[in-house]
Amino acid sequence: MKLKLPKPSFWLITLAVIWAAGIISVVYRFYNGLGAATNLSDQFPWGIWIGFDILIGVALAAGGFAVCATIYIFNLKEYRPIGRPTVLTAFLGYVLVIVALLVDLGKPYNVWHVITMWNHHSVMFEVGWCVMLYTTVLFLEFLPAFFERFRMVFWQDLFHRILIPLVIAGVILSTLHQSSLGSLYLIVPTKLHPIWYSGMLPVFFFISALAGGLAMVIFESYLSARAFGKGIEHRLLAQISRVIAVVLMIYLVLRLQNMVERGAFKHVFDGSSEGIFFLIEIILGYITPMMLFFNARIRESKAGLFFGAVLTLFGLVMNRLNVAITGMARSAGVEYLPSWMEVAVTLSVIAAGLFIFRLAAKYLPVFPREEKTGVHQPPLIEAGRSGKLAMGLLAGLLILVLAGFGYSLAVTRPNQSADAPQAAQAIAAESLEFPAPIEFVQSEESPGQVIFNHESHVDTSAPNCKNCHAGLFSIRASKAGAAAQTRAVGHDQCGTCHNGEKAFNYEESCDGCHMSSE
Amino acid sequence: MKAAILTDLTKCVGCEACALACKEINDLPRDSANHMLTAYTWSAMEHRNGVNIRRQCMHCEEPACASACPVGALSKTPEGAVVYDGSKCIGCRYCMIACPFGIPKYQWDKPIPLIQKCIFCYEKALKAGEQPACTAACPTGATIFGERQALIAEAQQRISSTPEKYQPHIFGLKEAGGTSVLYTSAVPFAELGFPANLIEESYPNLTWKVLNKIPGIVTTGTAFLAGLWWIVNRRIKLQEKPDETL
Ligand code: SF4
Ligand code: SF4
Repeated sequence: MKLKLPKPSFWLITLAVIWAAGIISVVYRFYNGLGAATNLSDQFPWGIWIGFDILIGVALAAGGFAVCATIYIFNLKEYRPIGRPTVLTAFLGYVLVIVALLVDLGKPYNVWHVITMWNHHSVMFEVGWCVMLYTTVLFLEFLPAFFERFRMVFWQDLFHRILIPLVIAGVILSTLHQSSLGSLYLIVPTKLHPIWYSGMLPVFFFISALAGGLAMVIFESYLSARAFGKGIEHRLLAQISRVIAVVLMIYLVLRLQNMVERGAFKHVFDGSSEGIFFLIEIILGYITPMMLFFNARIRESKAGLFFGAVLTLFGLVMNRLNVAITGMARSAGVEYLPSWMEVAVTLSVIAAGLFIFRLAAKYLPVFPREEKTGVHQPPLIEAGRSGKLAMGLLAGLLILVLAGFGYSLAVTRPNQSADAPQAAQAIAAESLEFPAPIEFVQSEESPGQVIFNHESHVDTSAPNCKNCHAGLFSIRASKAGAAAQTRAVGHDQCGTCHNGEKAFNYEESCDGCHMSSE
Repeated sequence: MKAAILTDLTKCVGCEACALACKEINDLPRDSANHMLTAYTWSAMEHRNGVNIRRQCMHCEEPACASACPVGALSKTPEGAVVYDGSKCIGCRYCMIACPFGIPKYQWDKPIPLIQKCIFCYEKALKAGEQPACTAACPTGATIFGERQALIAEAQQRISSTPEKYQPHIFGLKEAGGTSVLYTSAVPFAELGFPANLIEESYPNLTWKVLNKIPGIVTTGTAFLAGLWWIVNRRIKLQEKPDETL
């Protein structure tokens, strides 16, 4: 094989632009803070880095444990060919989740605190541990591909032996992790919109991740087959699609029934944007792919499978974004649309994932050898017309989603109640309790002692402490009484008002304040 | 002692003494606006619908923020304050998501930001049994410091002795499982921007109900999967070599 410098194709240039923008954004974020780089705010502290990169990145990795369990626990060896691609996807998914997390965290260098400072009451603590452990497990599960590639027989053997415990650990960790992302939102019953808030969130997150993870297997296999003739037998993929259909059906039954129980359907048809988003999510992303996959004719066709998988993934993306963003917008009371830097980082992360996957698929035994069909087509997504079509479709969906969010947020902007400062309540002046008179210590040249009385300095009809206490005088010392205040108070401070304009000029009348001792 | 603060909105004249005292004791920049909570304003004075509303952390009896924090950077002290240890914080902002009152704020302008909120003057006053700067500064007794039960009794007494002046509702008595900061008001709280749909169950319990199942899931899950593998494997082996007993 000759090494060729890749032609600066359209995709390569796109990749370069995305990464450049992503790197600039990350640097900018660490120099100027999250506020400058993102559109996050105190009202909307989690944006697409959490809602997209993390929630969805993890969910797409769910195929890993399902397939591993199928192959090694249920011993269905025929699924072996899809084992490595899914494990690789899952591993990359997690690595990229970690990258996104480190950009999003305020103090990423403290992330190891999760290991030493336990708060086992925190879902985030569980999430942190699952990320760490499961990434390790995935890495170990993928290692045999390297051993095979470089013929390290001893290691291959060793890993073969610990494989089953590893797979079991992977299944458990992944189950915990998928559901824990849903559990994160259990603590916001009054913030997350009732269409999405449910005590069953962890279960829903788990099941939908399962469907999404399996759809990812079809999706990748299709693209890989297009890109370099490596893929998975159609028959296997068709079987997976049937499994997806069943999973989607279980999901729909549970979720819709739960909504009926909670009486959440009244929100669906009340004309709110949340309702519309929910309908798009459920109809396009769950019901449609389920029906497609239940149809034998569609399962037969490559395009049908691919399209169903894309819709399943769309449903997953929609669901996570709806929970993290659409559903939280109303209670937050502000608009949130990601800044270009947030988008750039997200796209960079996705592009990196695709890029590494491609490298691995090319140079490591990821896809089964015998599936190789003839010619090795060079660069990545020179994938033929339908490949381009697929990418176009995805891009279109993405734009649709983003546009939709813009729309939703524009619509859900709550009516701000009039917040004009109105006249303070009429409160009897006698309810004011003034500090004791402050007796200033006299200096040598002082013509007489100064005793400060709040009574003569406060407009009792509209008392406003900040006129003087915003910086001029210490409010705490004043309240505590005389002694502490006497330091450092001089003509300059009193003169701010006693200047002949707001009050009499201190330079003109000493005995206005300094009482002569007689 | 369970320390608490009772803020009687009917008595507040909106002078901002509490907000200013807070800035002073915590060395917060005094030029920033005081009308809403930010990382640099931990005690705010909002004027809404003709009412002066003092805003601050509610110091929940069972704080959602503290239960949400993965590293225990937020915690409830025995005295009743919910305090923050910035050196532990990893900056995940889950506390901001979790708090039903939207209290924790973030230093969005800093490359290395901290969470910020009212900490009941814990180190500087409460620990030594003193009252926080805000209640000490209030010239009208609108916001007062005391023991939680005593303040609840006081609030009830005010409401029952002048029912025409008050809503029959002590905000914080039951909200989110009860809070250490209590409010009474002449205007319904929902009209003053207080969250209206809070549940009375403890918020941490919502996630704990699920989290405490994890050990069970791990042990039964592992046993189940291992058992499954063993059975499947045994059957396959028996099929291959039926005469051998495994
Ligand atoms: S009001 Fe919010 S920040 Fe304050 S203790 Fe309660 S949950 Fe924590
Ligand atoms: S941002 Fe800091 S204080 Fe808040 S939950 Fe995360 S680690 Fe804890």
